[in-house]
Amino acid sequence: MSARFEERVVISGIGQSAIGRQVDRSGLQLTLDAIGAAVADAGLVMDDIDGLAMFPGGGTANLPGYASGNLYEVQDALRVTTTWRQGVVEGLTLPFYGAAMAVATGQARHAVVWRTVKEGSAARAAGGRPAYGSTKPTAEGPLAWLLPIGMLSPVVQVAPYAARYMHSYGVTREQLAWIPVTQRAWAALNPDAVYTKPLSAAEYLAGRMISTPISLYDCDVPCDGATAIVVSAVETATDLRAPVRVEAVAGVVDGRPSWEQWQDMGRVGYATAAALWNRTSLRPADVDVAQLYDGFTIEAVWWLEALGFCGTGEAGDFVAGGERIGPGGSLPLNTWGGQLSGGRLHAAFGHTAEAVRQLRGEAGARQVPGAAVAAVTNAGGYEAGAALLTRW
Amino acid sequence: MTEVAGIPPAVTEETRAFWDAAAEGRLVAERCQDCGAESFPPRGACRACRGRRMTPSPVSGDGVVYSLTVNYQRWLPGLTVPFCIVIVDFPGHPGIRVAGRLRGCAPEEAFIGMAVGIGFEPGPGGFAIPSFVAVS
Repeated sequence: MSARFEERVVISGIGQSAIGRQVDRSGLQLTLDAIGAAVADAGLVMDDIDGLAMFPGGGTANLPGYASGNLYEVQDALRVTTTWRQGVVEGLTLPFYGAAMAVATGQARHAVVWRTVKEGSAARAAGGRPAYGSTKPTAEGPLAWLLPIGMLSPVVQVAPYAARYMHSYGVTREQLAWIPVTQRAWAALNPDAVYTKPLSAAEYLAGRMISTPISLYDCDVPCDGATAIVVSAVETATDLRAPVRVEAVAGVVDGRPSWEQWQDMGRVGYATAAALWNRTSLRPADVDVAQLYDGFTIEAVWWLEALGFCGTGEAGDFVAGGERIGPGGSLPLNTWGGQLSGGRLHAAFGHTAEAVRQLRGEAGARQVPGAAVAAVTNAGGYEAGAALLTRW
Repeated sequence: MTEVAGIPPAVTEETRAFWDAAAEGRLVAERCQDCGAESFPPRGACRACRGRRMTPSPVSGDGVVYSLTVNYQRWLPGLTVPFCIVIVDFPGHPGIRVAGRLRGCAPEEAFIGMAVGIGFEPGPGGFAIPSFVAVS
């Protein structure tokens, strides 16, 4: 048995439901669509599946439409016998991490993990993006320090990070505009993206302010959709249509597990990045395509710097003009449009699916030629996760 | 002052002292009776020595704005916008950081590094919420 668990697993399948601002099907139906597509994509049949994992667990919903595709209902509908199951939000570093651990330790051979959101429909029902925690009458746990004072959305809790970062390093909105603008250019090449119409830097700068310095186009798009990922044991590779290797996975929490108590809001994800590079001989220059979490523009900034694609405080210069991160660039970024244009599929499920497509050469008009190494990251702060995936 | 619209806190064994003091206009953290370290938010456990003998301890003196945001989005019906949220560190209390609203200046005039005084204002559910005051 090899020392690193990553070598014992592959990502064998990805599948997605219809994705849009509103998709008029239940979360359960979207989930079943995605799982069916992912299992077929892997070259497997449903009876091969012996592990099921839902992100997040059913009891953790704190935003309307946040957690659809209930684990129990999905298992019942699919009539799958499991030797391993999981429904978590805490401990998540990357969507497939738990499934990979289960497969690597022999608890399952083919495990499916899914993430289903109905946040687009929920936003419409609420007349706008709903308040964080508004599914409960009182603010519990860490939210007790945020919601009562008016930090009612993830936007408001991440905004002080962006403010501190821009203050510390002299980075401007004019520079960071190139992340959403360039990702929109990528989205135009993705028929499944939510927004595909070109976005100019001027339009970005004129976008209404949500919570300074985060404006409308810095925010990902609440949407409806499901993504499923199949993780398989490496010894089954000959049975699989197009497996992708897992080179390294890391998720380190080295600071306070709290948004407002995080000590240095200008530096996020560094411990996870260091752990990732310690698990591989690959280096940042080896990465052909980057799918970096972008719940907000600033989160992609964190990862560009933490992973060492540029230095701390240098992301503004790195992305300016969009040449490096756009089509034909040295570090194509969020080639599906990211969550900013592709939709808030959340928890790096959309990012992981796109990394797999790129490494297989199945990304269509947005294919990065010869992509052999992909970086995928999730969230930031105390939920930071990062992985490197490589071509089979 | 009219009550700020929002979602009230769930009060727990660990946080009751904070909200009770807030109602009286006082800011309290926790102090470890074993090693003397201060900690916030209250967890009933010392983050320095992991001791469990914690007692409420007053935080006093001006704070310094570590970071901030001016919120323009009306997340809930009745929420008055814009308002400024500040993340405040206390030089006299290492490791104590408290998030709250800001009063005493226009939201757009707030800046990182500005001094603020401790204060509270009426919040959701009848709770007094941290509401710092710009020091002119």
